Amino acid sequence: MAIIVNLDVMMAKRKMSLNELSEKVDLTLSNLSILKTGKAKAIRFSTLESICKALDCQPADILEYRPDIE
Amino acid sequence: MSKNNNLIFKGLSIVAWVIFVGLCIEAGALVVNFIFSLYNPEMVKNLYQKLDLSEMYNRSKWAFYGIYSFILIIAVLKSYLFYVVIKLVTKLDLSKPFSSFVSDQINLLSYYTLSIGLLSYVARQIAKSLEHRGYKINALNQFWSDSQAFILMAAVIYVIAQIFKKGIELQEENDLTV
Repeated sequence: MAIIVNLDVMMAKRKMSLNELSEKVDLTLSNLSILKTGKAKAIRFSTLESICKALDCQPADILEYRPDIE
Repeated sequence: MSKNNNLIFKGLSIVAWVIFVGLCIEAGALVVNFIFSLYNPEMVKNLYQKLDLSEMYNRSKWAFYGIYSFILIIAVLKSYLFYVVIKLVTKLDLSKPFSSFVSDQINLLSYYTLSIGLLSYVARQIAKSLEHRGYKINALNQFWSDSQAFILMAAVIYVIAQIFKKGIELQEENDLTV
């Protein structure tokens, strides 16, 4: 998919573990893992808001558009 | 899931089992008759449920084996159709109905129903043309009298299968929304 999730990059920058983030944003580890591995098909604004709040970043820091190479 | 639904599904399962057993007996009897008629042409006088095709057999073996093959294939397909129905009814979980298994089974049901409908229709047309040539085929009408109903049912089941397919897609999307 053309939308890349850079959650792991932001987590590394903020030196935050998946467990810690899961507690802060009130999401299950499996759902965060789905998001981190790029398997997610959609993200709610509320989830994005809480992740941005926890990681102190902008949505653009987490999501990136990279066109598919055909 | 309501208690009422549970009861309906149990009832459906029992009805499906009864019909399946009946169709299996019919298909089995027809297969046995067919095998016996290959080795002992005397059997043709007294086939399944007193069916007498001796006149057709004596006039043309090709017509007899052609028509009998249609009867046999339709009977086997009908029993397999109900086997799929039983599998579907027994494994269907109404609290989580949108699974790929259910979708595949409903798809399969629509294909088998359509096959039965089309085969019955073709067989009926062939039987009609044989009737024009003087063959007595009145006793055979019971085997393909419901071809239109099967074709209509196949169309309805196909639509349901497509709705299920879409439902699975929506559920997958919902599951992968964080």
